[in-house]
Amino acid sequence: MPPIVEFKGVTRAYGSRVALDDVHLALAPGELTFLVGPSGAGKTTLLKLINREIRPSKGEVWVDGIAAHALKASRVAELRRRVGVVFQDYKLLPRLTAMENVAFALKVGDLRISDHEASDRALDALEAVGLGDRGDSFPHQLSGGQQQRVAIARAMVLQPPVLIADEPTGNLDLETAWQITDLLEDIAAFGIAVLVATHNVQIVTRLQRRVLTLVQGRLVRDQPAGAIGRMAWLASS
Amino acid sequence: MAGVIVKGRFPRRRALQIVIANVLRYLFVGAARNWARNIGSMAPALGSMTVLLLMSGMVGLLGFALHNLEQVEASQASLLHVYMRDDAVPADVITLMNRLGHDSRVASVTYVSKADAFARAQRVPGLPQLAGASDSNPFPASLDVQVKNINDVAAINTLVKYNVVTDPVNPTSYDSGAYQRIQAVLLGAAVAGAAFLALLAFVAITVTINSVRAAIHSRRDEVTIMQLVGAPRWMVRGPFVVEGAITGGLAGVVAGLVTFGLTATGIAAGPVSFSQFAPGVTVTVAALTAAIVFATGLGLGSGSSLVSMRRHLES
Repeated sequence: MPPIVEFKGVTRAYGSRVALDDVHLALAPGELTFLVGPSGAGKTTLLKLINREIRPSKGEVWVDGIAAHALKASRVAELRRRVGVVFQDYKLLPRLTAMENVAFALKVGDLRISDHEASDRALDALEAVGLGDRGDSFPHQLSGGQQQRVAIARAMVLQPPVLIADEPTGNLDLETAWQITDLLEDIAAFGIAVLVATHNVQIVTRLQRRVLTLVQGRLVRDQPAGAIGRMAWLASS
Repeated sequence: MAGVIVKGRFPRRRALQIVIANVLRYLFVGAARNWARNIGSMAPALGSMTVLLLMSGMVGLLGFALHNLEQVEASQASLLHVYMRDDAVPADVITLMNRLGHDSRVASVTYVSKADAFARAQRVPGLPQLAGASDSNPFPASLDVQVKNINDVAAINTLVKYNVVTDPVNPTSYDSGAYQRIQAVLLGAAVAGAAFLALLAFVAITVTINSVRAAIHSRRDEVTIMQLVGAPRWMVRGPFVVEGAITGGLAGVVAGLVTFGLTATGIAAGPVSFSQFAPGVTVTVAALTAAIVFATGLGLGSGSSLVSMRRHLES
């Protein structure tokens, strides 16, 4: 199966500081992969390269057949509709309800969608993340875990082939973090490539999924699923 | 259910309706809502732009009046009055008229008798008293020579001033520096007006750019989310441009109405004195100026927003 995300010799520098150094990797559809490493290792930079928030200084980034490294600004939206994004701080719009937050992504992503259809699909997405009965709640009326579920529903409502998550459990207690991780596993089971940047060692070791380890911008280890051992990067974290 | 025809909605038309409704909503309804929400941050831009446009409208009308004045002056300066001696022989006058009439630099030559000159003086403010102070007609007969190009007036003056029919004391109306002095004054006024407007424009554009920047920052999260979920660039940027256009348009409406109102009031208060003060400025011209002010406001507001977004909104 061809990779849905592929990095070929990708380097990204901010001025003289190299954030990512000659990274090669490939993510397959349906694969849940964890991206680990100490703070400043380049995890967020790697995620930003996938949805073309930034360009690589060198190398190629391919996402679902699109050359993200060479994409014109006018075509970035096309790429981003294929990459769902989840953040540690949820990034929900506070004055919109949960349903409206999800529908918002649908409507700005596709003008052909009517209000009625957007509401229906948003409610379906909320149902899928276990929040079918909280569509009318505003973000401040939801717990952290529930807000993260809404954010995941929003990321998935356009049915992208790739989902990237930057520390999605960083603000959550362990139990809620497990619920969110289960949700991400379910999403991957639907054939979506899920890449999760995390510091949560317990989740990474217990799930035994593929783990990419970044240290000082270099991809120092690529452990396949079921072979997760000691987290060497912890020593320098 | 025999005989019942179920008529479905034409799906392509329905899709088009949805797209149009969504575009209108995102560009205009959303922009209007955000504009109303951020009116506090847009108020300085609205105020400075209104002042700029009002001043632009007034300076524009003044410029138009000065332009007309310059045209009148140019026309008058290219009309050379050649004053006749009282004892001039009619045959010599006709000879001079024919000579001037055949000169390619001359547009027309008209003979004005002493009686015509007196009658003309009666219509000029102040001169009737002067004319009545004397028992005889003090105004000389003349040839009114309309020269095609104002630069040829001096040469025509040289040609006629030593003619036998020309009054040796006061031969012509030619004043070599008069027109140049008027031109210098008008040029100075135009440069000063342009500099003043440029300064105002700079202030208004800077304030508007900063207001839009504030609006972008206040909606940073919304913009970020829109960008991350794949909203096209026009959808992210369009509402800000429309917001700028609303600000500029509103400022244009206010400034245009004030410009039109002041001008119309001036015209209504004293049509004769106003036309002397601002020749050519009519109600139609005032309405046209108001429309231009409004259009300028729209352009200025949306243009300033575009500049602000290019600086502050990354793709």
